[in-house]
Amino acid sequence: MAATTHKMFLVACLVFLPIFASADTCLGPSVSAETYTTSEVTVSTETVFIAQFTLTCKNGLQNVNLYAEVAGRMIPAVKTSKPNEYQISITDEYKALRSGTYEAKFYDEESFSALKKAKRNNEDSNSVTPLFSINISHSGLWQGSYIQSEFVAACVAILVWWLAFSAKSKLSP
Amino acid sequence: MRLIVAAVILTLASLSAGQQEDPEARLLISKNVLNNFLVEGKDLTVEYKIFNVGGGPALDVHLKDSSFPAADFDVVRGNLDVTWERIGPGANVTHAVILQPTKYGYFNFTSAEVSYHSKEDKKEQRFGYTSAPGEGGIVNRKEFDRRFSPHVLDWLVFAVMTLPSLGIPCLLWYSSSRRFAVPPKKHN
Amino acid sequence: MAVTKKTKLSREEELLLQDFSRNVSTKSSALFYGNALIVSAIPIWLFWRIHQMDLWQSAFLFVIFSLVSTYLVAYAYKNVKFVLKHYIAQKREEGITKEMMSKLSEDKEMTKKEKDERVLWKKNEVADYEATTFSIFYNNALYLVLLIVFSFYILKNMNPSVYPFTVYQLLNSIITNSQSWTISAQK
Repeated sequence: MAATTHKMFLVACLVFLPIFASADTCLGPSVSAETYTTSEVTVSTETVFIAQFTLTCKNGLQNVNLYAEVAGRMIPAVKTSKPNEYQISITDEYKALRSGTYEAKFYDEESFSALKKAKRNNEDSNSVTPLFSINISHSGLWQGSYIQSEFVAACVAILVWWLAFSAKSKLSP
Repeated sequence: MRLIVAAVILTLASLSAGQQEDPEARLLISKNVLNNFLVEGKDLTVEYKIFNVGGGPALDVHLKDSSFPAADFDVVRGNLDVTWERIGPGANVTHAVILQPTKYGYFNFTSAEVSYHSKEDKKEQRFGYTSAPGEGGIVNRKEFDRRFSPHVLDWLVFAVMTLPSLGIPCLLWYSSSRRFAVPPKKHN
Repeated sequence: MAVTKKTKLSREEELLLQDFSRNVSTKSSALFYGNALIVSAIPIWLFWRIHQMDLWQSAFLFVIFSLVSTYLVAYAYKNVKFVLKHYIAQKREEGITKEMMSKLSEDKEMTKKEKDERVLWKKNEVADYEATTFSIFYNNALYLVLLIVFSFYILKNMNPSVYPFTVYQLLNSIITNSQSWTISAQK
């Protein structure tokens, strides 16, 4: 009798274990993100990418530790003073971060260590599924115009005047 | 002789053991303004780099930058008050914030503050300051535009405006001159 | 005591007088001043947009110097027109004579004198018209070239306030006028 109750208790534990265990991972993550990339050479000597986002987990988990893999880097996401708000920042030379869309994949503690392990063993890192991902699109840098518009305007004006002058010289003997 | 050698070895062992028993984190933080030009109303990029040069992990690393008064700077992207759970020994992290100055003039960029626990047991808290970028001049937007903006549209409008005053007299004169132009005489 | 009668000037003499005077008819005058005003107003756009001069703050300046510039540019128009008129008249003489003669040849009633008069009048009219239009064209082109070169290259480093605006406007107009003075001096 005691043995059956014991067994039932064990089974119940096993059945409910996943639920208790899942309290550690974020289920059904929804993210509202804002990104920024350097647009002009004048505002920065390096290209800067920033992704700022708020994470909402359906199972109400708060302040999860997040890590990101983006543009070949594996970095931790920093927590801001507001709850569930995070930020990741990348800075590098202009040539190293060219224009295009970069996908930032986010992992929690567990999946991040799984990812690191996969990378160490040279396994396919796509086997570890990220929690969510954010796309950062970089449209390139404005380097400044090549020809000064004043120069063009001055050239055109001089050309017009020269035509008038030559016409005038033709008129006067 | 053997005693001396033994003593030396033991001291060294104890020293190294001592270090390993109690690894401490030590953070060096640099704060840099990455702009080529500081212009009122244009983005200002601030980059913080944190290096853990100690042997132990730094926990609860809290970076707070209160040196940008809300009246003079708008935050475009990023956060000036952030926390990292853990920065491992020998690791480094980067943080960036984009601001926009709302006033022009000279501004002294000062340090931000950092606080962290230097040991795993979180018993000791350390405080530090980042490096200070120093003084910078924020240029008036008008001056900057005057010198650097290409003004292509303005020039095009100017061209369109001058077209009638140049084009009409030219056409009138030309049509009239054509009408009465004498073909050059052929000298036989 | 002989009473001298003031005879009316013959049409020919009148035309000749008109030919050699610098005075322009009111219609031409209106044309000149109108064009000069337009051309003087255009740089305001440049100064406002590209040199970032405040429109309202400098409104007074803009108005004053537009007016001064208008007067000077119109003066330049007159000068250049006067000088060119004769050259044009000489050049077009043949063409006009031909055309007029072919037109009037059907009319047998007119005397030669009348025909000549008509040709002369037509010549004057055409030369006037051509000289006017060319003068406007040439002076506008010159004014704009000087405007751009002076304000963007030569006086570039000055603050776009009172100083450069006035200096160049005056310079412009003076140079424009001196052009016409030198031509007339060459004659």
